[in-house]
Amino acid sequence: MDEVMAIWAEWLKPSAGLPTVQWSLLLALAAAAGHLLQRYTGLPKVVGYSIIGTLAGLAGFSGAVWPLQGVALFLLELGVSVVLFEAGGRIPLRWFRHNPMVLLQSVLESVLTAIAVYYVLRYLDVRQSVAQAVALIAMAASPAVLSRVIIDTRAAGPVTERAMVLSTLSTFYALTMVAAMVGMLHKGQEGELQRSLYPVGVVLGISIVVGAILALFLRSALRVMSPTSENTSILFIALIAAGTALAAHFGGSAPLAALLAGLLLKQLHPRPWAWPRQLGTAASLLTMLMFVLVSVVAAKADWNPAVAGLVAALVLARGIAKICGISLANWGSGTSWKQALWTGCAMSPMSSVALLLVSQFVTASMTLGPRVASIALPAILLMEILGAMIATFAIYRAGESLKPWGPQDTQLMAGEARG
Amino acid sequence: MDKRVEPLLQASVPPEPPPELEPFHQSAALSLGVELELQLVNTHDYDLAPYSDEMLRLMRKIPLPGSVVPEMTSSMIEVSTGICHSASEVLGQLSEIRAALVRCADKLNIACVGGGTHPYQQWHEQRIYDRPRFRQLSELYGYLSKQFTIFGQHVHIGCPDADAALLMLHRMSRYIPHFIALSASSPYVQGQDTQFDSARLNSVFAFPMSGRAPFTLSWDEFAKWFAKSTRTGVVKSMKDFYWDIRPKPEFGTIEIRVFDTPLTVERAAALSGFVQSLAAWFLKEQPFVPEEDDYMVYTYNRFQACRFGLEAVYVEPSTGEHMPLREHIQQTLARIMPHALELGAGGSIDTLRMSAEMGANDARWLRENYSRERLLAEVVRQAAERFRGRT
Repeated sequence: MDEVMAIWAEWLKPSAGLPTVQWSLLLALAAAAGHLLQRYTGLPKVVGYSIIGTLAGLAGFSGAVWPLQGVALFLLELGVSVVLFEAGGRIPLRWFRHNPMVLLQSVLESVLTAIAVYYVLRYLDVRQSVAQAVALIAMAASPAVLSRVIIDTRAAGPVTERAMVLSTLSTFYALTMVAAMVGMLHKGQEGELQRSLYPVGVVLGISIVVGAILALFLRSALRVMSPTSENTSILFIALIAAGTALAAHFGGSAPLAALLAGLLLKQLHPRPWAWPRQLGTAASLLTMLMFVLVSVVAAKADWNPAVAGLVAALVLARGIAKICGISLANWGSGTSWKQALWTGCAMSPMSSVALLLVSQFVTASMTLGPRVASIALPAILLMEILGAMIATFAIYRAGESLKPWGPQDTQLMAGEARG
Repeated sequence: MDKRVEPLLQASVPPEPPPELEPFHQSAALSLGVELELQLVNTHDYDLAPYSDEMLRLMRKIPLPGSVVPEMTSSMIEVSTGICHSASEVLGQLSEIRAALVRCADKLNIACVGGGTHPYQQWHEQRIYDRPRFRQLSELYGYLSKQFTIFGQHVHIGCPDADAALLMLHRMSRYIPHFIALSASSPYVQGQDTQFDSARLNSVFAFPMSGRAPFTLSWDEFAKWFAKSTRTGVVKSMKDFYWDIRPKPEFGTIEIRVFDTPLTVERAAALSGFVQSLAAWFLKEQPFVPEEDDYMVYTYNRFQACRFGLEAVYVEPSTGEHMPLREHIQQTLARIMPHALELGAGGSIDTLRMSAEMGANDARWLRENYSRERLLAEVVRQAAERFRGRT
């Protein structure tokens, strides 16, 4: 692979540099794979993107450097931020006042996941600090994968909505807790509660400030701009990009700031969110890039039988804990037991956010980071592909997909038939 | 065999003897019952949301008058009052049901909305509610069943006996344009202004058994006609007729089905007060005898009301005189006012009179909101707030 790349680099001197060509071709391949996989198997397109990314990663694709840095890190953060901003905007806080059980479901599933993963890893002789870090990362379900699955299956209904909200909240907890833990690693302040809370306060505080400023800007923009205008969408993405860069620079968390911005904007501006429809292809390209990047990087992890066992145990414990957490608080929450089960299954995906979290550990600690990455990266890769399949299956079984699962030769989407 | 053809063939070769028309049951004259088909929308982009199962499950836990049942597609729900005797009783029951609906919807993070259509839902995205009858209808009618994601108000009015019910039915037919214009709330379909105030009824017209009931004032004659229809195998019960007004023998009522679901329960109750007052006028004053010839202008009047709402032209069936519908509505309301006062429906009639005077129905409210907001989803959000009683 390296030799081929060397020949390429010698022969081809494109204006934008070789990585641009590599990435462009990889994305083209991923787009084709996603489309064909969905057409012939009915699986969501993200599975196709991830498979291509994985194959590229396994083949030694050199376009992404681990730990993530520079443009790759920014693009991943931007992709995650856009998704989380949208996901945050789907959470009306007043829902928790009317239905506190949903909040309880969220807290329970996240806490149980962290506890279950921690103890399973400890049982398998993983160091305490590594187990803690992986347990916190495992809390995060992936609104990014889930939202793509929802688009592909054209799903709507209580399981879909709730899985999306719970995934977003779990991401919120994971982002906060990991940022706090990383902060403590920096300062070595374990043991003193007041001092331990300081990094949480800094990350949350800065993220809230950036998120609030972003939300206020966007609300002002919506006062004079139409939510259906393409320019509004571009303005949103541009401001989120600026917020992403600023939040990270000031010591906050870019994805967290974006999530909070979405959440705040929904409360300040309860009008319907029509603009995501306008994001269209630009946002799709960004998220596709994110999935390919995640799988390219995650595929570079070292696989061996011991790691495979750990990952299998982690994934199983995480899945069971999420289902148990949601089911335990399901009573009185407005959904049936079966729906609680499918909601838990739909939260299986683990993706880009988790990769960012691992990246934070790797950057923060030379000793802890690689150990965390060795367990988390394979888990992320597995759950990006398998998780997307499980989520798709759950949505079909819950009866919330518009189309039956199967090859789609004869099931053209609206508009496709017109060419 | 092609699954789509099967039900049609089954229909053409009835396997069992044709069903007979149910006897007309007793009900108190002028008793009232109101059914409202409502939209369930999400609170994100305010498109229709398939939550009827969850709503039914939650609503079952709350003791309420009347009933809550599923409708053809899973983003619809139908609520009905119990037997009422006045418009204020209807309003009381509907308010109680509305409060429960709002509570359950809040719990599920969705909203309930009135209106005859969802302004921008895509019919092909709707899911047929899983019930044998809805599945059969879907197989028979194909895409029409999904296009039937429309929302109406049905008003039942108690009749003293079967013959009186038919007399009442054909008398009421003259006032179908009035009902349509006052309740019209479906100007938008698939994201477009249809230029109709009530586009909902165009969807109903696509069904083969829609339109008007056959003209007869004798229940025996009607039973013979029904027997002939069932012998052909095309219909099996009165449920298969989607007439604008149909007799409902099992309740001892006639059911008026042309109303769009209004945006508020207050207007729904006022419309029921109008029907009741008209019925009282018919029963007490026997103001005219309906004739087959009344139906000469029926379709034209109906079209005018759907298209132009309160700005329609009304052709008086007996004289052929053309006049603004608003004027005829006002005359009618003035004529029935004494009966309305007796029934405690004076407030309802006043509300409707003012509405006719200003040319303000719910279709106009929707259009005015759209011209201000330029976003149909925002119009739905505000309609949801209106249904809650907030605006």
